[in-house]
Amino acid sequence: MSARADILGKLGTAAPPPGTAEALLADPVRPAVAGDRVATFLTALALPASGATHERIGSVAEAPAAVARYLAEHALPPAVFVPDDPRLAADWSGFALSLAITPDEPAVIAWARLGIAETGSLVFETGPHAPMLPNFLGLHHIVLLPETAIVAHLEDAALPGPQPRAHYWVTGVSGTTDIEGQYIRGAHGPRFLHVLVVGER
Amino acid sequence: MTPAAPAPRVALFVTCLVDLIRPRIGFAAIRALEAAGCTVVVPAGQTCCGQPALNSGARDEAIAIARRTIALLEGHDAVVVPSGSCAATIRAHYPELFEHDPAWLARAEAVAANTYEIMAYLDEVRGWRPDTALAATATYHDSCSGLRELGIKAQPRRLLNHVAGLSLTPLKGAETCCGFGGTFCVKYPAISNAIATEKAAAIDASGADLLLAGDLGCLMNMAGKLHREGSPVRAFHAIEVIAGMGDGPAIGEAS
Amino acid sequence: MSAAFSKRVDAALADPILKIAVERTAGTAEAKRAIAVDAFAQFEAARTRAAAIKDHVVAHLGYYLEQFETAATSAGAHVHYARTADEACKIVIDICKAAGARTVARSKSMMGEEIGLPHALAEAGIGRVETDLAEHIIQLADERPSHIVWPAMHKTSEQVSALFKQHHALPHSEETIPAMAESARRHLRQGMLGADVGISGANFLVADSGAVCTVTNEGNAELSLVPPRVHIVTAGIEKLVPSMGHAVQLLRLLARSATGATLTQYTTFYTGPKRAADPDGPDAMHIVLIDNGRSAMREDGLAEMLRCIRCGACMNHCVVFRQIGGHAYGGTYPGPMGAVLTPALDGLAASRDLPNACTLNGKCQEVCPVKIPLPTLLRGWREKSWREGLEPATMRQGIAAWAWVAQRPRLYRLAVRAAIFGMRRFGRGWIRTLPLASGWTAHRDLPAPDSESFMNRYARGER
Repeated sequence: MSARADILGKLGTAAPPPGTAEALLADPVRPAVAGDRVATFLTALALPASGATHERIGSVAEAPAAVARYLAEHALPPAVFVPDDPRLAADWSGFALSLAITPDEPAVIAWARLGIAETGSLVFETGPHAPMLPNFLGLHHIVLLPETAIVAHLEDAALPGPQPRAHYWVTGVSGTTDIEGQYIRGAHGPRFLHVLVVGER
Repeated sequence: MTPAAPAPRVALFVTCLVDLIRPRIGFAAIRALEAAGCTVVVPAGQTCCGQPALNSGARDEAIAIARRTIALLEGHDAVVVPSGSCAATIRAHYPELFEHDPAWLARAEAVAANTYEIMAYLDEVRGWRPDTALAATATYHDSCSGLRELGIKAQPRRLLNHVAGLSLTPLKGAETCCGFGGTFCVKYPAISNAIATEKAAAIDASGADLLLAGDLGCLMNMAGKLHREGSPVRAFHAIEVIAGMGDGPAIGEAS
Repeated sequence: MSAAFSKRVDAALADPILKIAVERTAGTAEAKRAIAVDAFAQFEAARTRAAAIKDHVVAHLGYYLEQFETAATSAGAHVHYARTADEACKIVIDICKAAGARTVARSKSMMGEEIGLPHALAEAGIGRVETDLAEHIIQLADERPSHIVWPAMHKTSEQVSALFKQHHALPHSEETIPAMAESARRHLRQGMLGADVGISGANFLVADSGAVCTVTNEGNAELSLVPPRVHIVTAGIEKLVPSMGHAVQLLRLLARSATGATLTQYTTFYTGPKRAADPDGPDAMHIVLIDNGRSAMREDGLAEMLRCIRCGACMNHCVVFRQIGGHAYGGTYPGPMGAVLTPALDGLAASRDLPNACTLNGKCQEVCPVKIPLPTLLRGWREKSWREGLEPATMRQGIAAWAWVAQRPRLYRLAVRAAIFGMRRFGRGWIRTLPLASGWTAHRDLPAPDSESFMNRYARGER
């Protein structure tokens, strides 16, 4: 007998009574997100466990100037990796642009589809114009997030319809406590996370 | 407490350790229960609740002991036990032993529903407060079975707060197991000792004169470790202090 | 106590460095969890819901497996089933060989440890890059993980420093933990980007979408699973959840219970291989669904154990684990959850000490995010061990004799009188040594019994 038949035979494959799985989704038990979602999101983002910073800008067109300021503050040269993502269309001519991602990319730009107020998470999906690897290779991760795309809870992150290869949530900078429990930023992924919240100021 | 209410007839199950090692805990229990308006009976023929068998996996032996203990304790207004772990054995585990035996299950559940750890009974059921006194500083260890199986946490403190002159000082890690664990302490003595060593250090660091708890097994473990290490902290079952018997010999002091 | 367990325990207790190392990590985790739980007012209700979700899945495991298989397959993944650890390893090795793999990058997975994947890869001559920082340390030291969340918790920074200096091409020059982490970052990056196959476990398998969810704080899973041509997942069949909404409710508890964070840094749902137009991702995705005793556990009274989401809270809060660390348990999984799982995975005869070396204090159950009644399950193993005659003869005879006497009150009273008489010969206040009780008196004094038992004094009319 195949392993599949054996295992499924032992377990049985009868469906659960209708509605029982759905009932376990009703009234999810979660921390309340009361008041201003944007403020809650930004508070969560700044918590030590997250360790991210942010700046509010009026439009995507203002992003290059904000990125230039950020890099200058961190004494970095004006060089970034910008993926071929139409949502990031702006005048990036002031930067040395990496054409392909390199293993030690200093700064990477990305677009987040959603922000989650509950946890300060950024929601990404892979797609033809949205590579995944750069968001983990860069030392500085600079993410554009529309203010209107900040939702309350993790449940709101789900993408309806067919799923992309990867749907992922980034909550703060890469960290580890693997040596003596001491918290270290930038274990493998980005050591810095900077969010540009795009919206009317 | 309404004076007109008839005195409840309470069966005291003293536990095998109290019977063997420290009878004055049993007498303190009687004194406190009578002060709280109870008529105390001590069913003759009581031995042990069967916990050592239960925790060793000897289910048949535990069932046999449970049957005769249930028969002994039935028919009282309440069963009161000066031990969280023995009370939990009757309250939480007896019914589990008879899950496939409906006749005995009903009897086990009836006794279980009526069985109380003594301080929970005095505080919650009787609403009683002591009017005893003892000038001392004490710290309290929450024994695990009582704490987690019966929810005993606030009751002893509420009673002890009414002992005039007694001040309670917090114990760091009061809810951390002392390493007794019944037969665990003799089956795995080195591990038990490592745990007890840390507990004794925490008790010493509390600065208290007295260590109080609600389980003699844990008290013997902690007091035995404290004494071996030369600590001046003395140990009593909390009911001894509550009943006004905290001025007598502490655990391990010859009477 | 078996000689092997006794030897491991003695070694652990005699190691002052281990005690410090365990205390640093578990103590920090305990404190952080307490803060996170206090900040989540509905934590108790969330635990109840989480347990209900897992119970629902475990009760309908076959249904959700089929649903997951259908969804994952239609997303382009290959789904495999393995009854045993050996079958699972063979499937993984065959996939690696078919892909012509010389090296694999592995993202920490306890399932990989459970099935012995590191050993199987070595036997097949396939290079392995452990990418989780702790697993990297373990690989360099050629040891086994000692904790399910912090596999290298038993290592001090001094020991880690020496390992990195021995093995890294460009090791740290400054003796600080951040400098050591940076050294590992440099060293591992090439290994991750150059691997042919990426292997991960799964924290959740989402039945309705066919997605595999991993969580990490370092970002090593993503760096290990995006660049290679092939992504292989090894997952226990109990990892299923009906939908992402169910996973979310468990994720809230997982991070808080493990590290005290509200969510892990990186939470990724992988559905199938890269799409045609995607700029990165693997060409093929294989998911190996592994039983390895789980279907039997469900039928043998251990269904509640299949709720486990591997947060490590039970061991962080266990007084025994805190003294002896993880290696002393001798199995893949240490601590209370390991003491329940190891007898199921490795056999009770070889591991009967684990369910016994526990004080049944109940703290593990109190902190478990899915309310597994660990003490009850450990008692269940003790009963089985007793029934099967695995307990030592002295213990069996002692308990049997004592139980026989305890049912005969007159005899019992005589026995108590004899015990009082016997014990008081060794002391009147404190007893310092007592034959047959050396386990006690080796480490602590024993209060001598009073001169007469309570029952005798009461019968005489004393009040």
